[in-house]
Amino acid sequence: MAANSQLPRRIIKETQRLLSEPAPGISASPSEDNLRYFNVMILGPTQSPYEGGVYKLELFLPEEYPMAAPKVRFLTKIYHPNIDKLGRICLDILKDKWSPALQIRTVLLSIQALLSAPNPDDPLAEDIAKQWKEDEAKAVATAKEWTRQYAQG
Amino acid sequence: MNSDDDYYSDNDYDGSVGSDDESGSEDDYGFDLTTVEEDGTRRPPYTVLSEEDILSEQREAIDGVVSVLSVDTSTATTLLRFFKWSVSRLHDDWFQDEARVRAKVGLPPSSSNEGVAKASTTCQICFDEYAPDKLRSASCGHFFCQECWQGYLKTGINDGPGCLSMRCPLPDCNSLVPETLIEELVEADELAKYKRFHLRSYVEDNHKVKWCPAPGCCFAVELKSAVPAANEPLDIGCKCGTSFCWSCDQEAHRPVDCETVKKWVLKNSAESENMNWILANSKPCPKCKRPIEKNQGCMHMTCTPPCRFEFCWLCLAPWSEHGERTGGFYSCNRYDANKNAGEYDETEKRRENARNSLERYMHYYERWAAHEKARVKAQEDLKEMSDDKLKRLSECQSTPVSQLKFVTDAWTQIVECRRVIKWTYGYGFYAELSQDRRNFFEFMQGEAELSLDNLHRAAELELAPFLSLDTTPTSSPVPAGLAASPSTASYATSPAGSVSSLYGTTAAFDDFRSKLTGLTAITKHFFDTLVCQLEKGLDSSDNTQVIEAMVRSKTSEKWKI
Ligand SMILES: [Zn+2]
Ligand SMILES: [Zn+2]
Ligand SMILES: [Zn+2]
Ligand SMILES: [Zn+2]
Ligand SMILES: [Zn+2]
Ligand SMILES: [Zn+2]
Repeated sequence: MAANSQLPRRIIKETQRLLSEPAPGISASPSEDNLRYFNVMILGPTQSPYEGGVYKLELFLPEEYPMAAPKVRFLTKIYHPNIDKLGRICLDILKDKWSPALQIRTVLLSIQALLSAPNPDDPLAEDIAKQWKEDEAKAVATAKEWTRQYAQG
Repeated sequence: MNSDDDYYSDNDYDGSVGSDDESGSEDDYGFDLTTVEEDGTRRPPYTVLSEEDILSEQREAIDGVVSVLSVDTSTATTLLRFFKWSVSRLHDDWFQDEARVRAKVGLPPSSSNEGVAKASTTCQICFDEYAPDKLRSASCGHFFCQECWQGYLKTGINDGPGCLSMRCPLPDCNSLVPETLIEELVEADELAKYKRFHLRSYVEDNHKVKWCPAPGCCFAVELKSAVPAANEPLDIGCKCGTSFCWSCDQEAHRPVDCETVKKWVLKNSAESENMNWILANSKPCPKCKRPIEKNQGCMHMTCTPPCRFEFCWLCLAPWSEHGERTGGFYSCNRYDANKNAGEYDETEKRRENARNSLERYMHYYERWAAHEKARVKAQEDLKEMSDDKLKRLSECQSTPVSQLKFVTDAWTQIVECRRVIKWTYGYGFYAELSQDRRNFFEFMQGEAELSLDNLHRAAELELAPFLSLDTTPTSSPVPAGLAASPSTASYATSPAGSVSSLYGTTAAFDDFRSKLTGLTAITKHFFDTLVCQLEKGLDSSDNTQVIEAMVRSKTSEKWKI
């Protein structure tokens, strides 16, 4: 592919490493027709309400990458205060805290960590965050229910 | 100046009023905007800075830090920006604990030599390996290749003013990117943007400097005195012609405090629908009932011939009652709630109260709005005067422009006074004053307003004939072309023949000069008094003296029209 032939060396190296030494609980592989588009899978971390779930995400490296952050989105429905119903993620390193010295791998590890430690004080999904703060046990139960319903297909 | 002396003979004038006007000091804003120090010396409380001024002040501050702290320019710049351009705070902290300041700001320790790579290394952004001379670091030893740095810096600069404190790209490394690296690697376009943010930081981060809020104005203002307390007004006159309040960015409003102005502006916008009719341009003549359009600044109206009734635009009373003061003080400015007093039952009383509160507001609002309109008009007239009419006047009167400064002085004074008098109505509406103080305030306000109207009228009407080369008396009492148009009806003032025969003669112009100069001086005097007394909180101990002085300076003059 013409577009892919100009793929920066950095992306090629990152891709090779993602495939050869995947991080535990994470897989990411480039799409065949666009090497800047990745199909991602993250396993719900143990001892989190998402345990046992398999979450699909898409990750895209914009033209400016690595000067600009990758664009990442959940495709699997998830009940989480920092992830909205379109799957968009509220994570500082995807916004103002992005640095070109970060990588796809670090981004995905951060997302996995976010599943272990939801942060209702910096919410993206207001209603879920509210539920989380008012009655955490109930919120966790709902998250587990969603995991069963949507992430175990 | 010959006849001017009459105006200054009175002891109540401090000599500077007259001499200032004559010598034409450069910083004449028509009002006293200087701060008076304890020892009586006056100095302007601020300076207006152009971009070049900002740059040179910045450079001066940086050079100062370079020599005092023995650091390079880039470090000095970084430090000053971090300390919001406060040299004294920087000095204090630096000499107390240099290492702490370095760490906090993100500067390398003074002994550091981590900027230069010693061996080939892999760039942590592009993963390629580079020779030492192709690698750069923010003095922290985290090396990236030049090309990756360029991308990083460019992105940062395009992100906004945050680029003034860009850090090493490595997450969690606090090292500040030195300015030298930016200058070395960034392209001209981005560098210009960066320099622009740097310039703006001197204004935007510095609590003693701010931009003029006028749209499109590029000047900044730097305070030379202490920053005023919240709610305390400080009028700033920008070189662009705008005057604004340092504390609240609203239009200048000294001596009224910011809170009152905010409340008043808010109230006006809430009531604007009800009040629109007050802004009407025409009112029926109180005598002949024909509509009279107001197209001039001063409130002294004259109906069209044959009526020629002279009345006050604001209260519609005959002007003679304002000018001659039959009995009591000039009272157009006071709101009299008892006008409609009578016998009422409770319901009627309540209804009356409600009506009174609206009427009371209307009283103040109408005057506020009329003075604002007059101010805008006077500002336009002043501009026209300086742009064009002054040259014409100079030709018609064979007088060099340099000797016509009294005309622009008069107009400048009018503009400033219209603004002050306007805000005193916002003040009058909200101020909770004892009856004594209110009387005192309204006396000064009334006298100031009346003198301003006299000055304004003289500048509007009596100057016009001197702008014409035609010195022969007109046969018609009304200049041709004026009478036909209702919109200029108010210009048909006195039977013109008696005066116009003198137009063009040196004596008549000299008379006009002394009259206008005198009116300007007394108006300035009255307004200075008003402003000063309001700022002193209408302290009742010297009220009687102030009133007596004002009356004396008035009665000793022939300044009435
Ligand atoms: Zn590189
Ligand atoms: Zn670093
Ligand atoms: Zn300005
Ligand atoms: Zn203010
Ligand atoms: Zn009339
Ligand atoms: Zn009146």
